[in-house]
Amino acid sequence: MIRVSGLTKIFATGTKAIDDLTLEVKQGEIIALLGPNGAGKTTTIRVLSTLSGFDEGSVTVAGHDVDVDPEAVRCAIGLVAQQTGVDYFLTGRENLMTQGHLYRMAKADIEKRIEELASYFGLTDALDRLVTTYSGGMRRKLDIATALIHNPSLLFLDEPTLGLDIKSRQSLWQYINKLNREQGLTILLTTHYLEEADHLSHRVAIINQGKIQVIDTPQALKNSIHGDAVMLTFASQGPDVGEFTFAMHEDPTVQNVVWQNDNLYVYVDNGGEAVPRFVRLAEEKGLTIKSLSLAHPTLDDVFLKYTGTTLEETKEEEGEEWWHQWAGKGGGGGGKWQKNWEKWQGQLEESGSDEDKAGWQAQMQKWQGDDATTAAPAATPAPETPAQSEAAPAKPGDWQQWQQQANASGTPVETPEHYREEALKRRGNRQADGKGTPEQGDWLGGQDADKNDNNK
Amino acid sequence: MLADTWYLFLKYTKITMRMPLWTLFTLIQPLLWLLIFTQLFKNFVQAPAPGSGGGSYIDFFVPGVLIMTALFGSSWSGVSLLREITAGTVDKMLVSPVSRIAIVLSRVMHSAVQVVIQTLIILLVAWAIGANLNLGPVNLFLGMLSIFLLGVGLAALSNGFAITLQREEPLVMIGNLMTLPLMFLSTAMVPKPFMPGWIETISLINPITYAVESVRAVMIGTPDYQAYGFGLLIMTVFAGVSLSWAVSAFNGLRD
Repeated sequence: MIRVSGLTKIFATGTKAIDDLTLEVKQGEIIALLGPNGAGKTTTIRVLSTLSGFDEGSVTVAGHDVDVDPEAVRCAIGLVAQQTGVDYFLTGRENLMTQGHLYRMAKADIEKRIEELASYFGLTDALDRLVTTYSGGMRRKLDIATALIHNPSLLFLDEPTLGLDIKSRQSLWQYINKLNREQGLTILLTTHYLEEADHLSHRVAIINQGKIQVIDTPQALKNSIHGDAVMLTFASQGPDVGEFTFAMHEDPTVQNVVWQNDNLYVYVDNGGEAVPRFVRLAEEKGLTIKSLSLAHPTLDDVFLKYTGTTLEETKEEEGEEWWHQWAGKGGGGGGKWQKNWEKWQGQLEESGSDEDKAGWQAQMQKWQGDDATTAAPAATPAPETPAQSEAAPAKPGDWQQWQQQANASGTPVETPEHYREEALKRRGNRQADGKGTPEQGDWLGGQDADKNDNNK
Repeated sequence: MLADTWYLFLKYTKITMRMPLWTLFTLIQPLLWLLIFTQLFKNFVQAPAPGSGGGSYIDFFVPGVLIMTALFGSSWSGVSLLREITAGTVDKMLVSPVSRIAIVLSRVMHSAVQVVIQTLIILLVAWAIGANLNLGPVNLFLGMLSIFLLGVGLAALSNGFAITLQREEPLVMIGNLMTLPLMFLSTAMVPKPFMPGWIETISLINPITYAVESVRAVMIGTPDYQAYGFGLLIMTVFAGVSLSWAVSAFNGLRD
């Protein structure tokens, strides 16, 4: 249905909005582009729906090249953009009618289709009312209905539930699901809610800085995080509890078991399946569970894993855009702290004296030591923490995350050398790409170095 | 393309009909000018307008007010285009196979038709307060045709500026900046003999002058169809050039 290869789009400002993006969407599939604001999701949709041009690559939508035959593409697709493009001073019916005329449909066909769509979306009663009287959810539905007026085989939804309350959101999900199931509509949607991607899509593409970082089923993505955390608190602390803990260790699906503040944290692949089993086991052992909670991986966790940054960090960077511009950057790249840190590392590596290096390693070990003491409690209260610890400046936050991941996935705790290697690996990648390292004294003004960062 | 234009035109007309007050508001200013200026200048300007075959200042001034109405009415067409771009309505059109020309054309036509209706209302008021005009069907039609073309040209310019500037504030500023000088640097207010030389020179390249003169040629005194024909020709060229600029600007909108 969609075949995109090597798609690159550079804005007039020099920002690379889409960077060598390759994507294939099969007929009848719901695919979600998941990423933070500014990741290139909307731009991708605009290119696919012929609204935007692009610089490199080839894009085929519904069997037609968007550059060669945009008209044919337009006839085959429907687009629901982020802004509700319905006219507020027209009635629902008039909106649908106008859109039908734009697709050059016969009047009778449009009228028939309007009845169909209105009853499908439950808008029949509101059809002859002005859109100004509609609620946000109704407007969205009307918006989707106008996009479907010409029976497209492919539907683009750009942040379809943005700004809707939970009830409208869930109702919209049902409609989207039904459209796909009953009418075989292929749907490409963008979102920054993991929940939405999870609920709706067959496959999720995590997109950041104009690139698809990973594409897989939502379940596979979440499973790759290894870490639903089940927290159990028992009424008593007898030997039975020890037995229970031991049984947990024996369980093949359990990744890790941690005791913390009289709470038992069990990390499993699939928490939903594990909880009933744990409860049964506890009952068999005659234990009373005082409380039990289950925490799933969040978007932050998945995102962290595949992009090396958290959503928080990306947001922070957006807020600092003025700074980037001032420093001659076009956006992109990691956070400010990360860049400076990496530059410092580069300087040390190239020019630092032995004492410097030794001091650096000592510092590294000290931080690592701090992490070892703080990471355990930090790791246990479940997946929200990576985001919080990320708020801490510079590298130690990253270490905590690695540590947490290590804890959660049950692999042995790495040595300081591991972190050092990791840091060097990251920097090395950049060097290997031929991007060079920042020059000495190149703290702030180094435009070239910054550009290199951006090209990463 | 014509069908596309027609349906979009219908859409805009419906929207306008839903808020008739807004259309009336744009009439207030020309109406005030009509009433105040004719009173204010009645005794001041004794001389009858040249080429008008006599008559009072009000006769001379009414065509000017009609053109002013066209100027105020159509210069804001671009603002609503920007709103439509922001609201995503334009995207909704662009994603359909609708003719891109039709999108601009329908907007401009809508604006021009609106202007014609507005000027007809003004004309009615002018007639009520005693202006002596040729209101026969032929002369009225010719006058309105000229005003329609002016409306097309101005609305197209406004849309073109909207797309080029991409922002509402500078567009409004240009609109404000342009309308008044265009009025005063033309023969809308005063006949040519009253103008200083430099203003007369400017008025020669001001399309407003030709719009006013063509309307005057058919609506005041003995109709002068030769003068009208020349004015209409200028108006057609003006409308054509503005429209093609707006269309090409719109086609360049695809980033």
